[in-house]
This record gives sequence, C-alpha cells and structure tokens, in this order.
Amino acid sequence: NLPFFITCLVVLKIIKHYQEEGQGSEVVQGVLLGLVVEDRLEITNCFPFPQHTEDDVDFDEVQYQMEMMRSLRHVNIDHLHVGWYQSTYYGSFVSRALLDSQFSYQHAIEESVVLIYDPIKTAQGSLCLKAYRLTPKLMEICKEKDFSPEALKKACIGYEHMLEEVPIVIKNSHLINVLLLDLQEKSTVADKHELLNLSSSNHLEKSLQLLMDRVDGMSQEIVKYNTYCRNLTKQQQQKQQYLQRRQQENTQRQSRGEPPLPEEDINKMFKPPQAPPRMDTLLIAGQVNNYCQNIKAFTSQNLGKLFMAEALQGHSS
Amino acid sequence: SNGTKMRNIEDTKRVVRSAKDKRFEELTNIIKTIRNAMKIRDMSKCLEEFEQLYRAFLKSKTIVDKEGVPQFYIRLLADLEDYLNQLWEDKEGKKKMNKNNAKALSTLRQKIRKYNKDFETEIVSYKENPEQSAEEEEKDDIGSASSSKSDDDEDVTAKSLMKKKPQEEEKKAPEASKFLKGAADEESESEEDEESEDWGSDSVDSGGESEDNEGAAASLAVVFLKKYVYGDKQPERKKDDRRKRHKKMEQVDEEADEEGEGEEGGWEKVKGGVPLVKEKPKMFAKGTEINNAVVIKKLNEILQARGKKGTDRSAQIELFHALAGISNENNLGEGILVKIKFNIIASLYDYNTNLAAFMKAEMWKKCLECIDELLDILFENSNIFIGENIAEDSENLAISDQPFRVRGCILTLVERMDEEFTKIMQNTDPHSQEYVDNLKDEGRVCGIIDRLLQYLESKGSTEEVCRVYLRRIMHTYYKFDYKAHRRSLGLQGETKSEQDQEESEGEDSAIIMDRLCKFIYAKDRTDRIRTCAILCHIYHHALHSRWYQARDLMLMSHLQDNIQHADPPVQILYNRTMVQLGICAFRQGMIKDAHNALLDIQSSGRAKELLGQGLLMRNMQERNAEQEKIEKRRQVPFHMHINLELLECVYLVSAMLLEIPYMAAHEFDARRRMISKQFHHQLRVGERQPLLGPPESMREHVVAASKAMKMGDWRTCHSFIINEKMNSKVWDLFPETQRVREMLVRKIQEESLRTYLFTYSSVYDSISMATLSEMFELELPTVHSIISKMIINEELMASLDQPTQTVVMHRTEPTSLQNMTLQLAEKLGGLVENNERVFDLKQGVYGGYFNRDQRGGYQQKQGYQRGDQKGGYQQRQNYQRGGYRNQNQSSY
Repeated sequence: NLPFFITCLVVLKIIKHYQEEGQGSEVVQGVLLGLVVEDRLEITNCFPFPQHTEDDVDFDEVQYQMEMMRSLRHVNIDHLHVGWYQSTYYGSFVSRALLDSQFSYQHAIEESVVLIYDPIKTAQGSLCLKAYRLTPKLMEICKEKDFSPEALKKACIGYEHMLEEVPIVIKNSHLINVLLLDLQEKSTVADKHELLNLSSSNHLEKSLQLLMDRVDGMSQEIVKYNTYCRNLTKQQQQKQQYLQRRQQENTQRQSRGEPPLPEEDINKMFKPPQAPPRMDTLLIAGQVNNYCQNIKAFTSQNLGKLFMAEALQGHSS
Repeated sequence: SNGTKMRNIEDTKRVVRSAKDKRFEELTNIIKTIRNAMKIRDMSKCLEEFEQLYRAFLKSKTIVDKEGVPQFYIRLLADLEDYLNQLWEDKEGKKKMNKNNAKALSTLRQKIRKYNKDFETEIVSYKENPEQSAEEEEKDDIGSASSSKSDDDEDVTAKSLMKKKPQEEEKKAPEASKFLKGAADEESESEEDEESEDWGSDSVDSGGESEDNEGAAASLAVVFLKKYVYGDKQPERKKDDRRKRHKKMEQVDEEADEEGEGEEGGWEKVKGGVPLVKEKPKMFAKGTEINNAVVIKKLNEILQARGKKGTDRSAQIELFHALAGISNENNLGEGILVKIKFNIIASLYDYNTNLAAFMKAEMWKKCLECIDELLDILFENSNIFIGENIAEDSENLAISDQPFRVRGCILTLVERMDEEFTKIMQNTDPHSQEYVDNLKDEGRVCGIIDRLLQYLESKGSTEEVCRVYLRRIMHTYYKFDYKAHRRSLGLQGETKSEQDQEESEGEDSAIIMDRLCKFIYAKDRTDRIRTCAILCHIYHHALHSRWYQARDLMLMSHLQDNIQHADPPVQILYNRTMVQLGICAFRQGMIKDAHNALLDIQSSGRAKELLGQGLLMRNMQERNAEQEKIEKRRQVPFHMHINLELLECVYLVSAMLLEIPYMAAHEFDARRRMISKQFHHQLRVGERQPLLGPPESMREHVVAASKAMKMGDWRTCHSFIINEKMNSKVWDLFPETQRVREMLVRKIQEESLRTYLFTYSSVYDSISMATLSEMFELELPTVHSIISKMIINEELMASLDQPTQTVVMHRTEPTSLQNMTLQLAEKLGGLVENNERVFDLKQGVYGGYFNRDQRGGYQQKQGYQRGDQKGGYQQRQNYQRGGYRNQNQSSY
C-alpha cells in the first residue's frame, strides 16, 4: 500500500472548513480533487459541500459539485474527483453512511480515499488526519449487497478487515511554508502549551460515553442475533420432528401397501426466520475498536505527560 | 316482607301481590287496550285482544269461582256488545272500513254474542244499573283510602280506575239520568242511615244490588271532603270530583237538576260546610266495633294500593297515621301499633320512587320520629317479637296471653334510614347552612342506631347484631375523638360546662370501636361486614395516631392482597383507610411508611375519585350517564372527606424528604430510579416556569423547599414548608399541629444535613461535627448518629475522627469518569454474557462432556453478575477505595 501525497493546501482548507462551519458533533464534508500519477494518488485540492438544510429542496448537490469542478478546471486545478473528506467527533466515523458513500466512490474510481479529520485532537496540538479505503473484501460484499450472517462468514471478514488505512505524505510548497511560519509567529503562548495540558477527564468522559453508546448498540445487535439463532434452532427441531413423523407414517403406509404421502414443500411450511443483517454489528465493532484505539492512544500519551509532570515536580522541589 | 318490599331495585317497585291481584291486573290491562281499540275503531285489534282476554279469564277461573265474576269484566262485555251492535247498524261506517276491520267486526260480533250468553244475568243486571257499579268502583279507587267490611269489595282494585276512564267519556251523556235514578233508589231505602255513613262499606258484589246504592251515594260527602283535604291535583281525580259534585248537589238540594250553574252553586255550599272536615280520619263506620280484625283489614287495604300507579303516596302515609291514631284510641294493643308503624316507615321510604332522589326534609323528620316511637314501643314492651321471618299469617297482633308477633325487620328499616341520611347528605350543598342543619340530624341517627343496638343486643340474632354494629362503626370510625384526645393530654379540668362534663364521661370511641369490631371479627360470617369493620378499625386507629396497631391490623388482615376483588364501596373505604394510615405514619415521623401508603393513591392522579370524594371530569365515552349516576351514589358525604390538599402535601413532603437526599447520593448513577414520579413531575413543572415568583400554592411551596434542600439550605426549606400559608392550608388541619411541625422541622434538618454531605463532601477534606451541628441546628449526638449511619451504609466515604470530632473524607467517591467506567464495565459484562449465549447456541444444547463444563461456567458467570448487581456495588467500591487510594498516593 503505497502512501499518497496531499498538498498542505488541502489540509489547511479542511481545517478552515471545520473551523468555520463545524461545531461540536456536527460533521463537515467535502470533495477531494487530485490526479492519479502512475499508480499513486495525489490530492491537490478540495472544496467543501455546502451546508444546507433539509427543507432546502431546490438545492442540487450533484449539480453544485459539477459546477464547482468546472469552475476549478477553468483556473487550471486538477479536477479529478478522487475522494472525499469528513470531520469526526472523537473518532466516530465508522458508520453505514460512510460505508455506502465510500463504496460508491471506490466503485467509480478505485483509488478513491476518504480523509478523516479529527478537529479535537488537532486542537490539542497534534494534527490528526487519516485516509481510509475499503478493503477489496468489503468491496466484494458491498457489491453483492448480502449482509446475512452466512455471507459474512463465508467472506471471512471481521471488523479489522473492513477499512484499510492508507499512509499519507503531506507535501508543503514553499509558499505554504511561509504561511505556516507566519501563523506560528501569530499564535499565542497558550495555544502552544495546549499540548501539555494535564486535564484528561473531559476527553475521556466523552470518549467513554460514545463507547458506551456503541456497546449498547452492540448488545442489542447480539440479542437480536441470539433470538434469531434460537428461533432458527427451534424451527429446525420442529422441522426434524415433522420429517420424522412423516417418515414413520410413510413406512406404516408402505407396510399397509398404501402409496406414500405426497411430497410437500417443507420450506414453505417452515419459513426460516428473517436473519438480522450483520453488517451493522461489524460496523459497530469497527467503531468500538476505533474508540478503544483512540482512548488507548490518549491515555498512554497522558500517562507520559503525568510522569513528566511528576518528574518535573520532584525536580523542582 | 317489609324488608323485601323496601329493597327497591333501581326505580322499579317490587310489590308483593296476591294471585288475585295479579290476575285481575292482567285482565284490566287487556280491557284497557280493548277500550282503546274501540275508540279508534280498530276491530282487528279488538278481536285479537278479546281472544286474549278470553284466555286470561279462563286462567283466572279458580279465582273467579271464589270471588265471583268481576264487575269490570261484565261491564266490558256489555259495552263491547253494545258497541259492536252499534257499529253493525251503522251501514255507512261499515262501508268505510277496510276489509280486515270489517271481517274482524263480524267475527267478533258473533263471538261475543255467543260468549255473552254465559254471563247473561250479570250483563242484564249491569245494564239495568250501569252507573251504580261504575260508581262503586270509582270509590274504591279513591279508596286506596277507603275501607270496607265486605270481602267482595276487594276484587275491585284501584286498577279499575284506569280501565274506567275511557268509559267515562262515553257515559257522560247518560250520566245525569243515572244519577237521578241512583238518588231515587236511595230515597226509597233511606232507612238504613247508619249504613249510609260508612262510605267505604259498599258491599256490592257483581250483581250490584240496589240497596247498596244509597250507601255509595250518601258517603260521597266524606269522600269528597277527604279528597279535598288531601288536595290531590291529578286531573282524573278532578273528574271524579266533578262527578261527585253532581251527586252532592243532588243530595243536598234534593233536586233532580241537570248539570249546570246549579252545580257550581252546590259546590260552593259544600265548601262552606267545612265542619265535615273534622271527620277526616274517620275510616270506620260510626257504629263499627273497632277491633283488631277490622284494623288489620283496613291496613291491608291501604297496603294494596301501595306501589300502584295513581296512588297518592302522601295520602297513604296520612292514612296510616290516622289508622295508628285510631288503634291507639281504641287500645288495640302495641302489636297492631308496631305493625302500623312498620308500614308508615316503609311507605315513607316508598315516597320517592326514584332511588337517586332523596327524602324531603319533613319526610325525613317524620321518619326519624316514627322510628324513634317504634323503638320506644319496642323497649317498653318486651313481649313483642318482630322479625322478617315471621309469616304473615302467624302474626299475633291481638292482645292476649301470648306475646305479640309482628312481621317486619326494624334493622332493615334503620339501615335504610341510614342510607337515606347518607343520600340527603350527598345531595346537599356542603357549603351551605342547610348542610350543617342536616348534619345535626346525625346525632339523632346515631342515637337511633345506638338504641337499636341495645335492643338487638338483647333480642337479635348474631348476624343482626353484626349488622347493627357495623352501622355503629360506620358512624364512629371517621370522627376524631376530641374528648379522649383531651383526656390523654390531661386537660380534663378545663372543660367547665356541664354538658362537656357529661360528654367526656362517655366511653372513649376507641374502646367502643374495639369492642364492636372484635365482636364482628369473632362472630361475623359474611366477609363483607368483617372487611368493613377491619378497615374502619384501622382508620380509627390511624386517625388517633395509633400507628402500630393500625399497621399491624392492616398487615394481619392481608387486605392488601385481595381488596381488588371487593365491591367499589369497600374499595373506597380501603383507599380511605390507606390514606389515613399514610397520614398517620407521617404524623409519627415515619416518612417512608407514609410515602409507601400514599404512593398508590397519589400516583394515579385520581385521588379524588379513588376516595369517593368527587367525580373527575372525563369524556362521555368512558362513562355514560348511567355509570355516572352509580358513581355519584358511591360518593362519600362531605363531612367524612379527607382533605385532598393535606393528602397531597403530606405525600409530596414525604417524597421530598426521601427523594432529595437520594438524588444527591446518586447523582451520577445511570441506573438511578425515581422514588416518586409524582414528585419529579412537580419538580419538572416548577422548572418549566419561565419566571419563578414566590410560591403561591402548596405544590409550589414544596417545590421551592425541595430546591432549597438540594443545596442543603434547611432554613429556607423550613421557611417554605412551614409558614403561615402552609399552616392554614395544611398543617393546622392536624389535631397535634405543634408536634407534627416539630417533627417536620427535625426531619428537614436531618435530611438537609444528609443532602449537604452527599453534595459537598467532595469539596471537604474534613469537616468538624460541631460546625455541622451548628449549621443544621442539630445536637452533636444526632449529627454523629446520622453521619455514622451514612458511613455504615457506605453512602459516605469518610471516617470519624473521635478526638477532634471531625469527619475525614476519604475522597473515594467515584468521579464521573470513574462512574462512567463502572457503567461501561457493567455493560461490557452484559455484552460478554450475551456473546456467550450465542456461543452456547453454536455449541449446541445437547449433552456431552464439554457442554456440562460449559454450563458450570455459565452458572459461575451468573453468580458473578448477581454479585455485580447487588452486593457488587459494595465490592466495587471496596475495590475502588483500595485502588484509587493507591493511585492517589502514588500520583500526588
């Protein structure tokens, strides 16, 4: 999996987009533009999806994108639609919506990626930008549109095989470097020391809350699946019993010289219960995994900070 | 029996009638329809009904054989034949008739001709003298009042009046001449003066012999006057009046005039001749020897009219009274008097045909007097046996060596009286002076019940005693015994007036209740009476703050388990009792018990309805008019009401005292449950207010107090709960106001302290108990005990430092993050559990070594979970305490 290049312009634009429009758990999205060089993807520009409300029916998103791309082409910007970006709230992004749209992108252009930008982590001092792609396996499943337990089992897919992270290389042009240096000059002291903030509970609480929510969801899914399984086995037993009875009767009839009972469509009599789609469970598992990773990363960082603070205190006293 | 007679179901009257009456009523009904059909010339209908009549007559053959052919029957036959002949003659009219009618006419004519041959003699005699026989019957109508010596007369019942009415129309024309004839007859045989006075004595049988005629005519004066006195306004009576006026005129003027102005003149004259009025109650002929048999006969006669349409009920009551007077004058003995009294009371109850209607004041007074008198008689004469199981014919009313035996049940009468009283109270505006006046009768009602109780204790059966005891209990249980209360406070000396002294000498109501109830518990065999008695007993205990007795009785009776099977009035009583129990617990400072007792009633939001203290407004789909009527009848009279505001306030304050500390203790607990939904609802309502002014209503006060308590500010809380407004609204309603208020203040202080510690313990490293005791104005030992209790219950993570008298906080209350982690752990446990189940299924449920192993594991898991849910909290906290202390120590 080769890394792909992103120009810093894209990063700055995404950050700016969130800064201007996103708040709290609101999510901002946009289109990534770029081009495929040899077998590598380069993302050179982007533009945001405009925020619009539900009742704004006149707005046509596709139309807007086309217009936008046409306009960008006029100013000689790469106009290949190579993916999309999305902001995230404490690392929550693994959802059905993401899966669906990423599938359609990847279906059209194989190299398409989704960039996930975590504004909260970024605000704390470490830029968090990750690129994901659906694995070929998942692409297969999505193409089949069969999310039944059997299909997923056959595909041998777990939550860890759903998304693959693609390494990113950010390339800065000289002009950007100048801008960044300029910004650094302007930033206040407090901003710089955000990195060393010791208070962790707020972030952790949020993460835990989200995690708990997902765990609840998971429990529900499992209960659903469990009942399904139970119903299935119950029915299977009934079916077995029925078949046995039938067989007995037939042997009796045979001994009496009567013709056997006519064959009946056994599947019609015992309609198997509707299997719950398992994709949601997978997604939730993926999301839970994601949260856990986040929390782990966060806590390990924080522990480091705490030790550092302790050492400092001991040193000073 | 009297008893059954009084039990009217809804508005219909059940009257016990003899077979004869029944048969004859049937006949008269049919005759009525025939006459109606005649009027509209509906021949087919006539025919049909005639055939029915024929059949009905055959059915009543036995009676007819005994009594003779009833006059009204003959009359109909005669009239019908005449009528048919007349129609037959009328060729014009016949042509106009439709086919069916014409056919029916001819058939009917033939039939009746054939049929009438059997009654030829009677018809002839009737035709000779139709007016007389009509007249005679008419008198009997009036004569629900009249009496007669002759048996034959009885067959002409009041019913015949109705039947006669249409006929009257037809007869108007020939009337005058008939009167003439009657008068003539009378003159010819005027020797029998004595007889003529007795207007009720027309011993005419179907033949209608002329000698009786004059009796009828002569007695008219009396009849008429009687009517006049009673002021009957029914139009049909008026008609009678008029007819009588004719006769009167004839008699007085001795002129054979036709009706006209003369008639009016005659009327005036009579009116002038008022002296006759004095003879009003005269029921018997002058010379008649008044003895038992005569009086009983008369009594029965009056009774016959009972329940029939057109019977003047008030007149009937008057008659009974008159009869009682007569029997008294003639010293016929108490037996008959008792019998008559029974009937008077019964007819007083009968006065209102509608069960929903209540007695008028004067009726009610009369009723009370009557029962009182009856009881007087019964007390004075111990040789009177009364009972509902004494058959009518085994009665002994005459004075003899044998004791009197009278049929009737005084207990039923008194019970009915009590019900009537309740009804009166229900139907009086509770905020009027009238209500107070009516309520004054309660004393009399109680007095009567008391006397009856004495009477039955010596004479009645156990069941009767139980019943009357219950009545007594029902009048006692809801009253607060002030004298006992005063006595218990040692204020006996303060009552100065003699009356007070006298009052306070009586038995304590508690003792009475105890005695009566225990008797019922031991002797009663109907479940209902016992249930009611228990509930009343509990109520009474609770009312007088004997909490433990009340509670124990409630628990021992197991009423809570099966009360839902009881009938609504008992359920209402149960609800009242529970509420009273709750309020009692509150007064005793048992906040939790109070809350639990009141929870059911208050959480439904229909306390008013459940206590039978008013109907809630609801749409008509849920309750139709009929149901509403029934529910209205179940309402408890106002003077027995439990103050709903007091009830709600007690409930809310209890909830506040429980809920606020609980909320503070479980601030971060996701699984926190509400103790009282109602209270939370009130809090939310309070929060929703856009602008919070000073509290006005009781609820607002409680909400404001709750808010203050949340902050541990007991002074503000106190000032919201106990102030002038709340005093007048709620607290002053308690008999021991001061004590309750003191209890309440103390509770507020204690719970505020707890809340304060829960809420702010994280702020403190340590806090001195002296400071706390100062803050909450509690004694040091109390503070000590409260804090100790909290520590023992692991509500507060702290330890007491004895030498310095301080509470040292351990700071181990889980932070919100830790709480969250705990929750997460729990959830993950559930998740794993569920996952394992899936796995179990995959493994298959059928036996095998592996599976057994699995099950063991599963059980273990369950054990783990159980521990997690209950004892687990403790465990977890232990774990935490250890764990975090370590962390604290290491990192700080």
